[in-house]
Amino acid sequence: MASMMELGSEEDPCASTFSLVDEDHTLANSLRYILNRDPRVEFCGYSIPHPSENRVNIRIQTTGDPAKDVLKDALQDLMVMCQHIRKTFTNAVDQHKVAKRQGEVSMKSGITEPSTE
Amino acid sequence: MDNVSYQRFPTVRIREIKDDFLKFELRNTDASMANALRRVVLAEVPTIAIDLVEIEMNSSVLNDEFIAHRLGLIPLTSERAMDMKFSRDCDACDGDGKCEFCSIEFTLNVKCTSDQTLDVTSHDLVPSDQQYPVYPVGFMERAEYGGYEEDPPEQRGILIVKLRRGQELKLRAIARKGIGKDHAKWSPAATITFQYEPEIHINEALMETLTLEEKKEWVDSCPTKMFDIDANTEQVVVVDAEAYAYDDEIIKKADAMGKPGLVNIISREDSFIFTIESTGALKAADMFLNAIEILKMKLDAVRLSMETEENDDQFGELGAHMRGGL
Repeated sequence: MASMMELGSEEDPCASTFSLVDEDHTLANSLRYILNRDPRVEFCGYSIPHPSENRVNIRIQTTGDPAKDVLKDALQDLMVMCQHIRKTFTNAVDQHKVAKRQGEVSMKSGITEPSTE
Repeated sequence: MDNVSYQRFPTVRIREIKDDFLKFELRNTDASMANALRRVVLAEVPTIAIDLVEIEMNSSVLNDEFIAHRLGLIPLTSERAMDMKFSRDCDACDGDGKCEFCSIEFTLNVKCTSDQTLDVTSHDLVPSDQQYPVYPVGFMERAEYGGYEEDPPEQRGILIVKLRRGQELKLRAIARKGIGKDHAKWSPAATITFQYEPEIHINEALMETLTLEEKKEWVDSCPTKMFDIDANTEQVVVVDAEAYAYDDEIIKKADAMGKPGLVNIISREDSFIFTIESTGALKAADMFLNAIEILKMKLDAVRLSMETEENDDQFGELGAHMRGGL
């Protein structure tokens, strides 16, 4: 999928622009959000330089840490978040199904139970 | 790398779940996350759709490309799509997209021999591969019904073309895996939306200064039915907060009645109500789960490309230029 290029200077690794090919708002906006939550980040923003080019530039300026490491952490955090949503989602689906089945059973047997909904 | 992380832990509550419909609450996260998931479901969750059509005989009133386009739009059951290969990076065949790992073949052979108009529908598409069958949506359910004419309309399949006496349609169609970004026919979502959860606070003290008539007038000014009047207590109650379309109508009405601040509506910007409707290609819940997987794959791809320098080659001269000859 995506391939990335870092644009920055070797003297100052705290400020870099990362250019991602074949990505769009989907990834860039959520990355920007998670990066802006990180106190090490002084500035973070993204842009799509041209709408017909499949490229997005993410600018990161940090308070001292290398921008690359901060971006790596942000990616990791987002991965964990995805994992978490996946887990909670499957749990919620299972719970919902169990609750529904219980509701049906109690309706059939005539037992009045407080609604699980 | 330090161990501090800034992620949040969203929670999910399912409201309603059906094969083709899903409504749930996603809490404790941000619009960027909700929007990323929405965008992935819409444009990047793979499904299977007809992509190549070889027409052998077509004497119908529609031309070949018109029929090919209509065939492409038919949703096919796509549970297999996540495990299938894109035909462009299939190793088993050299990209001609005709092997079992990246394509499914269908045939259609219909001729009208009666005086009545014959409807050619998605049910007439026959998959040639019996090992991993992929069907047009509703194909399996059709067995429960006998003749076509008496069937309920939703069981009659998706209409492709109508034939009159003597007209014939014979073709071979290849279905492939694809994503909505490339063509909307591959999008598994009929609709996918999310909305902020509105929080409605009625200023009870101010509300009491209104007469019953005024209350009724105010309640009726809402284009979506959000409020009602309790028959016993004559108090205004919120019946459906989520019906609020953020149209400000009731706020304007309160101002016009000389009661500004009668109601205060805030949207909770960390809670989302998702509504997903599927085309039938994938189950609504699977669409969402696949979307999470794909978003993770995207993040992984970026992380991996960070560790390999050879990616710079892809940028060629531009990359060298931008790196400033480092």
